[in-house]
Amino acid sequence: MSSDRLRAGPLELEALRRGPLGSGGRTILLVHGVNPVSPKAGFLDLLAEHGEIVAPSHPGFGNSPRPDDFDTMYDLVHLYRELLDALPEKVVVIGLSFGGWIAAEVAAGGSAKLDRLVLVDPVGIKLGGREERDIVHFFNTSPAELNRRSWHDPANRPAGTYGLGWQTCIDEAMSDETMIALARNWDALCLYAWRPHMYNPQLKHWLRRISVPSLVLWGAADRIVTPEYGRAYSALIPGARFAMIDEAGHHPELEQPRAFVDHVARFLKEPSLRGA
Amino acid sequence: MELWNHCENPYPFVPHEVLDQAESVRASLPNKYCDPKVAARLYDEIFDEYRLCDDIGIHIVTNEHHSGINNLWAASPVITGVVARITRNVRILTLGTLVTVRPDPVRVAEEYATIDVLSKGRLEIGFVKSGATEMVSGDANPMRIREREWEAIDLIEKALVTQDGPFSWEGKFFTHPHVNIWPRPYQEPRPDFWAATSDLPTCAELGRRGFVNTLLFGGYDRTRQAFDAYKAARAAAGLAPPGEDRLSYMAFAYVGDTDEEGIRIGQKIAWFLTVSIKSAPQFAKFQPGAVVPEMAPLAWRAGASRRPTNLDAEVLIGQGQMFAGNPDTVARQIKEFRRRVGGVGHIIMMTRQGLVTHAEAEKSFTLASRDLLPQLQDLPPIDSDETAWAARREAAAK
Repeated sequence: MSSDRLRAGPLELEALRRGPLGSGGRTILLVHGVNPVSPKAGFLDLLAEHGEIVAPSHPGFGNSPRPDDFDTMYDLVHLYRELLDALPEKVVVIGLSFGGWIAAEVAAGGSAKLDRLVLVDPVGIKLGGREERDIVHFFNTSPAELNRRSWHDPANRPAGTYGLGWQTCIDEAMSDETMIALARNWDALCLYAWRPHMYNPQLKHWLRRISVPSLVLWGAADRIVTPEYGRAYSALIPGARFAMIDEAGHHPELEQPRAFVDHVARFLKEPSLRGA
Repeated sequence: MELWNHCENPYPFVPHEVLDQAESVRASLPNKYCDPKVAARLYDEIFDEYRLCDDIGIHIVTNEHHSGINNLWAASPVITGVVARITRNVRILTLGTLVTVRPDPVRVAEEYATIDVLSKGRLEIGFVKSGATEMVSGDANPMRIREREWEAIDLIEKALVTQDGPFSWEGKFFTHPHVNIWPRPYQEPRPDFWAATSDLPTCAELGRRGFVNTLLFGGYDRTRQAFDAYKAARAAAGLAPPGEDRLSYMAFAYVGDTDEEGIRIGQKIAWFLTVSIKSAPQFAKFQPGAVVPEMAPLAWRAGASRRPTNLDAEVLIGQGQMFAGNPDTVARQIKEFRRRVGGVGHIIMMTRQGLVTHAEAEKSFTLASRDLLPQLQDLPPIDSDETAWAARREAAAK
């Protein structure tokens, strides 16, 4: 395990690196969700058998600085394009929740370095009618309700990892350092995504531009964004495959790490039928 | 010293069992619990109180909050426009529309200029940062609201004072290519600006800009610190010391015939703090931007809620957060407050608050005007006041 810095233009981001532990020979860029990927997450070693994991913290999250004027999804998308340009060939991008939105934006814009795309319970698009809420409000919903909706069983949350409803995990044992990090993450997430809440109204029109093999994974018990939303999301990406992970909510990589990595591994072994 | 009447126009008529079960009594309590006929009666009563204040020399403050039992004003410019038309004499302070929630400060400037004309130059314009449930009711990003507030204030000010527009504004938070409000304000160059804050860097900025700084329930120490920050910033910038007219304080107040009456009715005001501000954690301590991250451990460890449940009027008086008693007692309390905070030129009385009735409020205003206000005129300069006090204390110690 190592945690170091990753340079992207003028920015130096905190980044977790893991692997490769196998003969994957590829880079896996993890684009995190509401909180940076925890080094304690069990899926990391399993996934590192398939490539070298690079998991930066977005500006404002974890220990990554955020320049004053860096405060929109537009900034994040260009930052990740810049990061991709700096990585070796054949990058697999895995976007989780909010990070799935970033990954979808990057993929829709196209990148020569992007080899395959995995979206895991992503947000980012508006599908329902104007009086239907596709995405449970992250900031206006009670932490207890978020926690209930984010997990198949909240007891499955691995110690030291935090998903939506993280506020319910605060207890006397939590360190000041962890609380400060969670507060930074929450503030930054809000800055980027308060309004429209967690989506770009135009993105659904441009998902058709995604030209790499894509897998859309969904926790069967996700009640933040439902599997129905996920199926429709997937259907907008040409050739994308949709798969559900049982007994998992909004964070299947945390709740069912083995099943999550198995899905990804199978997808990475599939021959690419596109661009042939 | 000037006295002001500020009424939040609360709605204390929702059954207790509903309030007890509600996650929050602001932002998410369904409006089926607000009877518009009762609201209409409240508006009538409070506008009558404003008319009374207009006759007896007590200035008027309006404000707005949204979607909750603590305040039915909803749109300060609407209410202030009504007050401008039903009064003739007193100053009217809007404190204020929530500029961090309003999408276009130019409209705010236009509304305020209109009210200034309607009132023939009696408007004062106050700004509040807002936050918490207001960000939810107004769907306004709770991050960066202080920066957004300052940009809104700058744009409003430029819109009010520019007489040879249109001008263009392309800021961080607001853009408007063609700003040119009609009418322009009645007062030249613009109505006086106020802001409500105890945040010390903001107080310093108010000092540099010469805004009136008002504190809300700050008590002795926080108010003193805020006013000191205001004065120090002016001194550091080479500006003249502020007159007391730049310093204001808002507290609960009830003036009765006797101390017993003042305290008994003053106790009814505390409902505002004990019931009307109940809020859910996601609208409060866990709202993004609510605390700087470094302060999160302190804020989050403080338990489920620090909402007071039993606020005794005499405790509030002791903390300088309530002035209550007979007119002489209240005069003493206010003079003592003025001495301890180093001078204050405006006392904003929150009287028609909580469970206080229309008749009780009118009685307090009448007594405040007749028997309290005269005692607060031509006060000796604060320094000599303080010197005399120190001398008295020294004498007592001997």
